[in-house]
Amino acid sequence: MADMYDEGLAMVEATGRGTIDLEQSAARLLKPPSRREMAKRPSIHGTVVLDDHHTWTPTDGRLLTVDDLHVEFRMREGVAKAINGVSFHLDQRETLAILGESGSGKSVTAQAIMGILDTPPGYVGQGRVEYCGVDLLTLAEKSRQHVRGDQIAMIFQDALSSLNPVFPVGWQIAEMFRVHRGMNRSDSMARAVELMERVHIPAAKQRVKSYPHQFSGGMRQRIMIAMAIALDPAVLIADEPTTALDVTVQAQIMDLLKDLQAESGMGLILITHDLGVVADVADRIAVMYAGRLVETAPVGPLYATPHHPYTLGLLESVPRLDSKLGDVLPAIGGLPPNLLAMPAGCPFHPRCRYARAECGQGAAPELVVTEPGRAVACPWWDRLEANHE
Amino acid sequence: MNDVILSGRGLVKHYPIKGGVFRTTVGQVHAVDGVDLDLRAGETLGVVGESGCGKSTLGRLLMCLETPTAGSLIFDGEDVLKKGATELRHLRRNVQIVFQDPYTSLNPRKTVGDIVAEPFEIHPEVVPKKGIRTRVQELLELVGMPPEAMNRYPHQFSGGQRQRIGVARGIALNPKVLICDEPVSALDVSVQAQVVNLLEKLQRELGLAYVFIAHDLAVVRHISDRVAVMYLGKIVESGDEEQIYEHPTHPYTQALLSAVPVPDPTLRGRREQIVLTGDVPSPANPPAGCRFHTRCWMAQEICSTKEPELISRDDQMGGHVSACHFAAVRAPEAPAQA
Repeated sequence: MADMYDEGLAMVEATGRGTIDLEQSAARLLKPPSRREMAKRPSIHGTVVLDDHHTWTPTDGRLLTVDDLHVEFRMREGVAKAINGVSFHLDQRETLAILGESGSGKSVTAQAIMGILDTPPGYVGQGRVEYCGVDLLTLAEKSRQHVRGDQIAMIFQDALSSLNPVFPVGWQIAEMFRVHRGMNRSDSMARAVELMERVHIPAAKQRVKSYPHQFSGGMRQRIMIAMAIALDPAVLIADEPTTALDVTVQAQIMDLLKDLQAESGMGLILITHDLGVVADVADRIAVMYAGRLVETAPVGPLYATPHHPYTLGLLESVPRLDSKLGDVLPAIGGLPPNLLAMPAGCPFHPRCRYARAECGQGAAPELVVTEPGRAVACPWWDRLEANHE
Repeated sequence: MNDVILSGRGLVKHYPIKGGVFRTTVGQVHAVDGVDLDLRAGETLGVVGESGCGKSTLGRLLMCLETPTAGSLIFDGEDVLKKGATELRHLRRNVQIVFQDPYTSLNPRKTVGDIVAEPFEIHPEVVPKKGIRTRVQELLELVGMPPEAMNRYPHQFSGGQRQRIGVARGIALNPKVLICDEPVSALDVSVQAQVVNLLEKLQRELGLAYVFIAHDLAVVRHISDRVAVMYLGKIVESGDEEQIYEHPTHPYTQALLSAVPVPDPTLRGRREQIVLTGDVPSPANPPAGCRFHTRCWMAQEICSTKEPELISRDDQMGGHVSACHFAAVRAPEAPAQA
């Protein structure tokens, strides 16, 4: 009883521990930063124009390197720091899963890589997004358009709202060829049918002129995938591709993505909150919390011995299909932090059951390499293991 | 069995499809098509199925939010549908619902206190007017919300907290049955566990019976005593939690269970997955015979002509019924099919 009550009070409690300067947040509420102050904050605006026939060749199989990426949303209420220094990389043929809860910044990371962040209010404060040796953030919008769709493509969660309801799906797939390849209508439509067959849409030829609402959820997601792979991108970002789908359809879509990846050797960034899907397909996992990576590891070791308390909590709190009834789920208490008023120190410490006094002070812990291929943003990770066992 | 408190017999709900110039009825959506179920006091009945299988409609039928096209609904030994408004009030007082989406199911213009107190306006006999405020505070405390929450508005709370408010409203009238329609689907993993634990705690303390409707099979297994699997408006298999999850006999249940990803990378590639092809057929025009035969890998002649009954085909399986002509526990490696 008492601890349930505490959970509800978590937000109040976070302030009570003195982790947020009360006076400061009160001042912020009373006097929001002016528009001019907002504009003064640093942000990256790309200007470099690339040659239209630039060839993209990965060095040593490394496709994408994200380094110290910061994204913030400047709003009237203040500056929400959605991403605070995220770094990771992606190789050819690799599947990297970015795992996190809503508000952890996983979708914003994808939007920043794609260059489709809503600006304003979203700005890339600093960082690099290197694709085949070129920092995409420095590119002018025109050059980025060549990269987008052609080299890096994206699948969105909600296929119904991501497709245009007033155009036939074939037309929308063919648009990729018309815009990027300058094809004519009939050729591009023929390619659209080919693509629809490639993503296993039955009777593709008859259905090419159907509208999005005439398809089921799974079929719509296939159409999204067809659009994304139309130009053979080297990197595919899938933002919660199966969250809105039923389990039986989810399995079909994940199989399709796996097959397509095996055929073309593209790198896949899978953004999800579903620990089950991740275990089935990912090679490496990056766990995000409050705009930071808290742990990166290959999939096997992450599930076997999670190093970060948040990862451990997540793994424990998922009910298992193959487990018995009756036990209380070990839930993580409290709520994710408010991005407008991040606690000092480790952002997870108000919810962490291993938290010490030191955790609530100073800067947030950095990712530290613990063993080859693994890193964790918790200085006490080795004690966690001891506690765990 | 006299501890059955709510039961449905042959529940049917068809929605008309209007078409043509004069908006005449041109067809029927068979949302729920003949469902029998019994809910015993203090137990949790899980209802699982894909979207569009009629599980939410079933939940709404059980508390008469939708009037069934046919069938009967028996609460406390009385057929609610045949009696008048008094019986309906009695049902609604004792059967409450928690909705899926905590963002749209709470009135944004009312304070949390007003939202939780709303059931008392309709059923004033439960709590005297003077006691409402204290009762609301009690309820909020019971679901783990600070009493200050009373004067705040739903938008000031996160999804998990809003769902707690929804639960507080659901249990306000001391109901015997709480229908939970996908109560945790919209929540994050870590918060989902909190709400599941809250529901289990309330069940222990208040002796509630739950009808837990969800598509997440793992959560349903965790919380349920008995489970019913629905497909296209019908229950295809039902039994206790162990029977359904460890020894499923209906091919649909088997496929559904095998499709759920297990958060354990060491099992990758070693689990036999039955990937069903195609989509759920339209409930406006369900297939003849067994409704699952269009997607079933075991389908034979008889499946497309004769509808299988929901019966126990093995004497040893007490209470474990399955609507398949060839219902049997199969070794998981048998249907290796893509």
